[in-house]
Amino acid sequence: MDFLSKNEKILEKEFIEKGFIIREAANKDALNKIQKFVIDMLTSKGGDSLDHAHKNISISELNDFRLDVIKKINMQPWLREAYYQIAKPYLDILVGNELAMQSRVNLSIQLPEDSSSLLTVHADTWSGDSPFEVVVWLPLVNCFDTKSMYLLPPKAANNLSDDFKLHAQGNSEKLFDLIKNDVNWIKINYGEVLVFNQACPHGNRVNKESETRWSMNCRFKGLFTPYKDKKIGEFFEPITLRPVSKIAMNYKLPITE
Amino acid sequence: MEERVPQHVQNIVIRDYCSKKNIQYLLSATEYAMENSALTLRQLVKDLSSIDGIVAYSIFQMPEDDNERQSIFNSVLSLKKELHFAVEGLSIYDNETYNHIENIWKVKKTIPDCLYL
Repeated sequence: MDFLSKNEKILEKEFIEKGFIIREAANKDALNKIQKFVIDMLTSKGGDSLDHAHKNISISELNDFRLDVIKKINMQPWLREAYYQIAKPYLDILVGNELAMQSRVNLSIQLPEDSSSLLTVHADTWSGDSPFEVVVWLPLVNCFDTKSMYLLPPKAANNLSDDFKLHAQGNSEKLFDLIKNDVNWIKINYGEVLVFNQACPHGNRVNKESETRWSMNCRFKGLFTPYKDKKIGEFFEPITLRPVSKIAMNYKLPITE
Repeated sequence: MEERVPQHVQNIVIRDYCSKKNIQYLLSATEYAMENSALTLRQLVKDLSSIDGIVAYSIFQMPEDDNERQSIFNSVLSLKKELHFAVEGLSIYDNETYNHIENIWKVKKTIPDCLYL
């Protein structure tokens, strides 16, 4: 028995079957504000087009620039709430409405032909994340093919998990070879938001397209769901604590002794 | 609360936090190892008038007892000083930040009562 609405069930089915959903950004003003901040930082490098940032940033200076953008955008007091608002209606349905959010929002920049900043195939749960977390992945440009990321659908991910010990002596490249025909390359445009199940193996490859990929990512989970290595306080912070929880956390039984 | 990180690692994290926040690091203080001790912390708060604030390694080094912890936080705020937590990158300097830190503490204490895998 459940009392979910038709719309909720559609979203649920899609997420469970595909391991992700892509929807319109729920707050376009927030999205545009984030994109503008990043473009303004690119301007300091002499560029004004995120897609063509590789003309302004060399591979050797990419990581320092990326870290500088992450540092500065995370210093903006509006950033995390804006980021949350972009995905809020989907998080409400997929995760719940009493949430913990990652303390820092990350940024990925994939220049064409850059092999220095790749994320090999992994599931976040393999390295300390709770399966109760989702990733909200926000493209700042249109992403497709190798300019995007790939995700192994849940069914194939379960098969891989069942057989994992057979492949555990290999390496991540061999692991990718094993799954490459089953992965979904995420096609998503600026103006849309991706929410995916980080327990499904995912990653990226060398960007073979002629444009630079810019995307942000941040994790969300139910506030009162199990945590693994990423703890409340140091990695996650409560963002939508509800009144009954506030009251209950302060509740004490009457003293009888 | 439960976690233990070697003291020299705590110092590295605190110094790095101070450096990033442009906070002048003056003197390191070490809490007594006895369980639930807050003797050193209380002394630091008592002597707070001559400095800008305290940087602790973690939120969860604060007293687990709600009343005692809140009393320390309130003392810091009433002196118009700051209390920073290096690992979490958070600080208390007004009522809003006080409530945020307290919420994190209370969620942490509530989690063991939630169903767990």
